[in-house]
Amino acid sequence: MRVPTGISELDGMLHGGLMRGDVTLVVGSAGTGKTTLGLQYLVNGATKFRENGLYITFEHMPAQIYRDAANFGWDIRKLEAEGKLRVVCTSPEVLVKFVESRNPIDPIIAEINAKRIVIDSISHLEASIPRSKLRGELYRLINHLKMKELTSIFTAESHEVFGNRLMVTGVGLSFLVDCIILLRIVEVQSSLKKALTVFKIRGTDHDKQLREFEITSEGIKIGIPFKELEGVLTGTPRRTTEERFAEAFLKAARKGR
Amino acid sequence: MKETSLHELTEKLIGTEIKAELLRLFHTNPGILDTVEGVARRVGRMRKDIETEILTLVELGVLRKERFGDLDIVSLNTSKDREILKKVAELIKGGVKG
Repeated sequence: MRVPTGISELDGMLHGGLMRGDVTLVVGSAGTGKTTLGLQYLVNGATKFRENGLYITFEHMPAQIYRDAANFGWDIRKLEAEGKLRVVCTSPEVLVKFVESRNPIDPIIAEINAKRIVIDSISHLEASIPRSKLRGELYRLINHLKMKELTSIFTAESHEVFGNRLMVTGVGLSFLVDCIILLRIVEVQSSLKKALTVFKIRGTDHDKQLREFEITSEGIKIGIPFKELEGVLTGTPRRTTEERFAEAFLKAARKGR
Repeated sequence: MKETSLHELTEKLIGTEIKAELLRLFHTNPGILDTVEGVARRVGRMRKDIETEILTLVELGVLRKERFGDLDIVSLNTSKDREILKKVAELIKGGVKG
């Protein structure tokens, strides 16, 4: 069963939405729109799909979230007052307690009957869990969320703005999650553009194209695939061989006239 | 609380700079659910400097402090907070006493 994000083009790429109960990792460097995507998923859940949600943040203060969300026309305070969404601002060491039988997060999930959760960002857990235990604890957290039938999004910081390496935690988090969405900044003809791709979904097909996206006044809007370019994920794409050949052919044809 | 004057109540609530900062933090960010150390980081203070003030606000009922395993988690007690704000408003309406 699919859980639509409410971002129609992304749902199209996902062939209907996220798989219910799955954990999706949204990876990107600073300013790529990870928080916006996470909030949009929760706001759409609460307003369009009758699915309440919980947003857990470590660094962003709720006041900042309310203000930034208002820029997209999302009234988070109103949704909180209606019991449809909750913003929890905490420390990674508190989130680690989430898997214990008595913890401060479970009562909130029960209170609003949350079906969706966003943890922004999972990278902060690295500071609270010894590296030798990180993979095991992430595995425990993922299974805890699955047992609660929450459809989850983890955001994760990619330290490289450009480049062709994908390193999130270094402990294999990408193997533990069910779906990975990559957000990248790419340079195209001296302009910075944003690119999105669904990198992996476990057990189902998906659109594998790299698409340009923008953060508009209504949130994330995904556009057409980057055509005639290759190496987009490296951040510095070049024209495809066919494009270079076509251009050389046209140049030669013009000279020959 | 019934016998408390406006002066006494405001003194308890915002008698020090740190208490005022904490109240402002929790009022503008009601979703904070954090350790004392985490709260200290959020107001740009050291843990030792806010511990007593947190305790005063917990005693007043504005904040809630609950133990989970080895962590004390602090959060805004929204219902009690509303009650106290109402009381302050009533006292201001009724004229400053004390």
